[in-house]
Amino acid sequence: MTVPMGDPAATAAGSVEPWAGEREPAQKPDEPSLSAGEWLTKNLFSSPVNALLTVVFSLFVFLVVRGLLNFMFSEERTWRAVKTNMRFLFTHAYPQEQYTRIWVCVGAIAVLSGLSVGLLARVGGGISMKKLSMNLMGTGAVIALGIVLREPSAIVDDEGLALHRDVSEAVGGSFAGWLDSNAFTVLAVLVLANVALAVWFHRQDTYLRGGPEPRIAHGALVLASFGVLMVQQYASGEVVRESFADAMLDRAWWWLAAAALAGAGAALWIGLGDARRRHTFVPAMYVFFAVAGVMVLSSWVYPWGHYGFLEGEFIAEPGSTVAMTTKLPWTVMLLLLVATYHLGRVLRAARAGPKLRVPLNLLWVLTPFVLYWAVLRDPDLDWDHVLSTDLPMALFFAAFGGLVMWFLAHPRIGEAGRVIAAVLVAVAALNWVAAYLGWYPMLQKARISFLLLAVVALLAHNFAGDRSQRMKLVAAWVATMAVFHWLVTLVNSPSTVDTPTDALIGGFGITLIVAVFTLLLAFPMGVLLALARTSKLPIFRVLSTAYIEVFRGVPLITVLFFFTLIFNLFLPQSMTLVDIAGATIGFALFSAAYLAENIRGGLQAVRRGQYEASDAVGLTTVQRTLFIVLPQALRVSIPPLVGQVIATFKETSLLAIVGIFDFLRIADKVISAQSEFLGVKREGLLFVSFIYWLFAYNMSKHSQRLEKRLGVGER
Amino acid sequence: MSVSDATTALTEELAARDDMIVCEGVNKWFGDFQALDGITAIIKEREVVVVLGPSGSGKSTWIRCINRLEAHQEGRIVVDGVELTNDLRNIEKIRSEVGMVFQQFNLFPHLTVEDNVTLAPIWVRKKPKGEAEELARSLLERVGIPEQAEKYPGQLSGGQQQRVAIARALAMEPRIMLFDEPTSVIKEVLDVMKELALSGMTMMVVTHEMGFAREVADRVIFMEDGQIVETGTPEHFFTDPREERTKLFLSQIL
Ligand SMILES: Nc1ncnc2c1ncn2[C@@H]1O[C@H](COP(=O)(O)OP(=O)(O)OP(=O)(O)O)[C@@H](O)[C@H]1O
Ligand SMILES: [Mg+2]
Repeated sequence: MTVPMGDPAATAAGSVEPWAGEREPAQKPDEPSLSAGEWLTKNLFSSPVNALLTVVFSLFVFLVVRGLLNFMFSEERTWRAVKTNMRFLFTHAYPQEQYTRIWVCVGAIAVLSGLSVGLLARVGGGISMKKLSMNLMGTGAVIALGIVLREPSAIVDDEGLALHRDVSEAVGGSFAGWLDSNAFTVLAVLVLANVALAVWFHRQDTYLRGGPEPRIAHGALVLASFGVLMVQQYASGEVVRESFADAMLDRAWWWLAAAALAGAGAALWIGLGDARRRHTFVPAMYVFFAVAGVMVLSSWVYPWGHYGFLEGEFIAEPGSTVAMTTKLPWTVMLLLLVATYHLGRVLRAARAGPKLRVPLNLLWVLTPFVLYWAVLRDPDLDWDHVLSTDLPMALFFAAFGGLVMWFLAHPRIGEAGRVIAAVLVAVAALNWVAAYLGWYPMLQKARISFLLLAVVALLAHNFAGDRSQRMKLVAAWVATMAVFHWLVTLVNSPSTVDTPTDALIGGFGITLIVAVFTLLLAFPMGVLLALARTSKLPIFRVLSTAYIEVFRGVPLITVLFFFTLIFNLFLPQSMTLVDIAGATIGFALFSAAYLAENIRGGLQAVRRGQYEASDAVGLTTVQRTLFIVLPQALRVSIPPLVGQVIATFKETSLLAIVGIFDFLRIADKVISAQSEFLGVKREGLLFVSFIYWLFAYNMSKHSQRLEKRLGVGER
Repeated sequence: MSVSDATTALTEELAARDDMIVCEGVNKWFGDFQALDGITAIIKEREVVVVLGPSGSGKSTWIRCINRLEAHQEGRIVVDGVELTNDLRNIEKIRSEVGMVFQQFNLFPHLTVEDNVTLAPIWVRKKPKGEAEELARSLLERVGIPEQAEKYPGQLSGGQQQRVAIARALAMEPRIMLFDEPTSVIKEVLDVMKELALSGMTMMVVTHEMGFAREVADRVIFMEDGQIVETGTPEHFFTDPREERTKLFLSQIL
């Protein structure tokens, strides 16, 4: 399905750009597109130096890529270890019979993602057919290149072990043998020939004239060098390999895939013609759906094999399709994503976008809490206690606080409001003192609620306004109380999920959970620290600076050790911090310091005039900070903030060192200790790196889009 | 009627009005540098005062002291009967009565034009949203850019930005407007300012637009080195200045 850019209906329905006039803007002329040869001349062979750099770096890339391919597809790789341990890698010991809960979590995230992307995506934008077909052809070519580059497969015996040979005997006397012994000389000659060519062409001014000769000559020499390297490796290996021709034949499926991709790309390219190619756009999401769709579909038809690890038994059924417990949920997830994406687009077309943005963002913040404590943890609620204590307390705070807010947000409350807020702060403080001295045992939950109430009451006058505005404040308070009390009740109830470790879940699950909660904690802390560090009050400045400098000066791993191993010694007997909570707190305290510095950079970028203008129109300090300063500061600091988010996400791999079964540790220690896969590590580590990379790369991509979108209207 | 007769008549008329801004011996230092030196002036209700002076003479500093963007160290500033002290409540009160248009406009770049205008009425004046939007529309109409409401400041021309800045200040329904040196004032903006002056707004305008000073000002104040050198009606000021320094300044600028 495509959305042509000029379609007036699409533009009118979904235009975010409020400044888009009625008249359609004139089409911007395209960059003239270069032919492949022109592109090569311009970018890679524009001068002798560039030509030589191209030659040297392509040889280098060739070696690296070939090494990686040979490593990945070698007969010695036991990828079965990864396939078998897939659930282990992602959720560790989360019980199989409760696995539906995991899928509910994935589903919830799919629904939110679909809605968000659907609501936010620019209609009429997306990937042009030109780019799509080029990418398709490019992918096909890369696969074809990979097929050729990878060395021929080893010949294996009945047990799957590669046959070895005596090298000198096997290739002695042949051309391959000669090449093997003289490889270095031949390569050196080829490189020198490249240099000589460069000099000669330079004298002829061929580079300047842009003729094809240098490219062809250099290209031929580079190909010859590749050939030398490939033959040399083939000849010098101790493993008996099939012939090159057999290898190419064996990879028929890969050839087919490469041809299909390149063919599809070429068909698009030729079929559409120049103008339509450039002006027809397909939403990026559809490309994602197509790729995911092919993968999900293949799980139903292609014999990927069914591998697993259930109740101590390894399952290995190479000939069958993926297990129903895997393919069915993934199919549902994809359908959910597609459905919610379209729902988002419909809502957007109905101009509900702006209204839904805030609730959607709130949902994103709330989701991790709900998923972890309500879904994954499956808490066993004590209903007597809930009905007798939790519920009445929540109702009391919601109603009492709601009344207070309603009253304090009256536009003309004036001095009385400040007095009431001050009294509330005093009561809240007294509660803590009383609890500390053991006068009367108010529950901690109530004390925290009171404190929250007092703080919000102090700030309430900033959000005063007409009836609807006051109603909003009250609603926000009631919602906060409902969520807060509900969550505390959940946290206080024991979990019914039975796992062998302290942690509910391990593997990539815990990596994600720790990363998400770290960021949820660290972001507000970072903002507060940054504000404190730029505040006018010296005490705030000093404290925040001290905090930041301490945490930036200490290695993260020591912070983690402190919070997982030592911190408990300081706590009262009755209290212990489980490892994951401790680690999360450590991560959060640490990243808060870095986030604070990034945000401080953003704060400094907010010009003084903005403060003065806010003051001149009479905004209070709180309003100025919330409505004017922070939005601008955060926008400026998106790139470093995302950098920090990615760093935090990757740093969770340190969890392995403090003894938590995170993603890395499963690959590194758990799989390699299984009787079936003793010592098999590299596959897992490569897989883990790939997944980390995939997530980090997407975050970085997303942040670039975010920057572009928020940069709207700035000059 | 001679020039001096007119001046006398105006002076008598003005004397009868309420004092809007009173400055008495205002001194201000930046470090060791004295930026304001014994500024004493009274600005009456509905009066339009143009402040002139060479660069660095302290015009901006004075105007900024009047809504407490800068704090003065000595002397008294009373705005609409409220004295400016460190008391936060007084500052709040003054700021909601004094509108200010900055030299650099200082619009909020992340908010649309409409949001720039409605922000303060909603959060400071506690106006219902609909009412504030209504007000914003009428103000943008008044300054002549009703069609730009949905744009962001970065997408506007300089003159349009200036008008948004005026609309934003007017949205607080101030009794006093301070204009700090709208340098390259375009005709439309001058028209808006003239119209404001005619509508009876008390205005203090730092400007180099002599045309505006001649046509609209009730009084011209000339500053140099943080001091008020000379005060007078435009007729008197431009045709028959008393002080040497004023003459020199006028000869350079006209
Ligand atoms: N924040 C500050 N810190 C130190 N000195 C300052 C500060 N603000 C202004 N000054 C100094 O005070 C003097 C008066 O400045 P002011 O901005 O009031 O001049 P001005 O009359 O508005 O000049 P212009 O016509 O160039 O805008 C100048 O010498 C300036 O250097
Ligand atoms: Mg100035």
